[in-house]
Amino acid sequence: MIIRQEICVGCGRCHPYCPTHAIHFQDLKSAVDQEVCYECGCCLRAEICPVEAIEDSPQVYDYPRALRKYFSDPNATHALTGIQGRGTEESKTNDVTLRVGPGEVGIAIEVGRPNIGMNLTNIQKITRALARAGIHEIEPNNPFQDMIQDHSTGDLKPELMGERVLSAIIEIQVKRDRLRHILRTIKEVAREVDSVFCLDVYTLLEPGLTVPPEVLEIIESEGLSWRPNAKINLGLGRAWERKNS
Amino acid sequence: MTHSLHREGTISSLERDYALFIYPARGFNYNGSGPKVRRIMELLYLEAPSNMIVSTLRRNLYSGVRPEEVLESIKDGARIYSAFNNREKLKEALVGIKKLDEGISVVVSGLIDQVREMAAEINLNPHTINLSLGIHGRTDRLPPPDIRQFTTMCGHGMVSPALVRDVIRRIKKGRLALWEGSIILAAPCTCGIYNPHRSQEMLHDLVPLYTVNRW
Ligand code: SF4
Ligand code: SF4
Repeated sequence: MIIRQEICVGCGRCHPYCPTHAIHFQDLKSAVDQEVCYECGCCLRAEICPVEAIEDSPQVYDYPRALRKYFSDPNATHALTGIQGRGTEESKTNDVTLRVGPGEVGIAIEVGRPNIGMNLTNIQKITRALARAGIHEIEPNNPFQDMIQDHSTGDLKPELMGERVLSAIIEIQVKRDRLRHILRTIKEVAREVDSVFCLDVYTLLEPGLTVPPEVLEIIESEGLSWRPNAKINLGLGRAWERKNS
Repeated sequence: MTHSLHREGTISSLERDYALFIYPARGFNYNGSGPKVRRIMELLYLEAPSNMIVSTLRRNLYSGVRPEEVLESIKDGARIYSAFNNREKLKEALVGIKKLDEGISVVVSGLIDQVREMAAEINLNPHTINLSLGIHGRTDRLPPPDIRQFTTMCGHGMVSPALVRDVIRRIKKGRLALWEGSIILAAPCTCGIYNPHRSQEMLHDLVPLYTVNRW
């Protein structure tokens, strides 16, 4: 994002809208620190500027900077996947797609969430740790895939190392017996990461909204706990309408 | 998309906070989903959610958008994102959606115990759960929990902690009413799952306690 200096009146109204403090005063006007800005679009969408000095930067869709927008602005449609957002449909359409089936779990590492974001060198710490631990089952349909240069090492494309994103999701889908190993690996790499990430596990339910005890036991035995609120697919999708589109 | 999964706050506050999603599945029941999603949207308007957006328009209930405009924008693949501040209203909506039987995936984000009870009361068989195992890494860099209970209502991080503090400051100065402040905070969430009714209650509790010079 840019602020047109010749128009800005330095009222400061746009500052609190920026989730990452990229907007600051400079010579009685406001300016956007291009290094810090995620291109999330919050300041522009707020329509708060009395003189319309806030504009998309001409470089916003240039590669690799464009990744900032694709992974930070929920309204941006990713050029590769044609999908708005960071992830796939994971659990939310699972009653139709059965992507995560019996005996399987999905794991999502939501890097940068909540609030803080992350530069891609930090995300590479996670992908490298996963690769070193022999975890290569990263969801192929997630736009994050496109950042990876070498699956065997977890290296991201070198030209991305200067970029930062507000959130990206690494999704992994495995048999349940791999869950313990993966949680352990993620817990270890958490110490190296200079930001935050949220960790999720999704699984089929047993009758009566019962989470499979085997899954809970693995989570607990790794010293982790689950929040009292969760995202629950109510099973109203009709799987027999599959593949009609 | 896991963006509704990490809503923070006390249990009594989360008891009045549910996100409801209607999702056609890409490559499965996507084609022909437009009219089905539209019928669900019509029903949801009658159930008075706290907030709501359709993915084809992305303008929330408080943006001044007319329901007809919203309904007309719905085409195949459109998704509905909404927030409810009342368990009974959500239950009514789910009864109606079940009756419509459109075959489109329905997801509720909320307290597991409450959703379990609700599902039993209306005879639903929940299929898949996405559990949050919390926040990891440099948690010392996070905004404090009382600010996070606002900002995590937008899982994409669009509600800036600085904006929450700014709104608190303006309410304290008498420049904004609680509800006006809530609507300002709901606006950046372009998925329409920020719950302004819950946010109003939280502002009411927080404003007297907070001293904010400048964000
Ligand atoms: S686009 Fe987002 S990160 Fe960049 S200045 Fe605007 S609000 Fe801040
Ligand atoms: S709101 Fe507009 S005029 Fe005011 S500081 Fe921001 S860019 Fe400048």
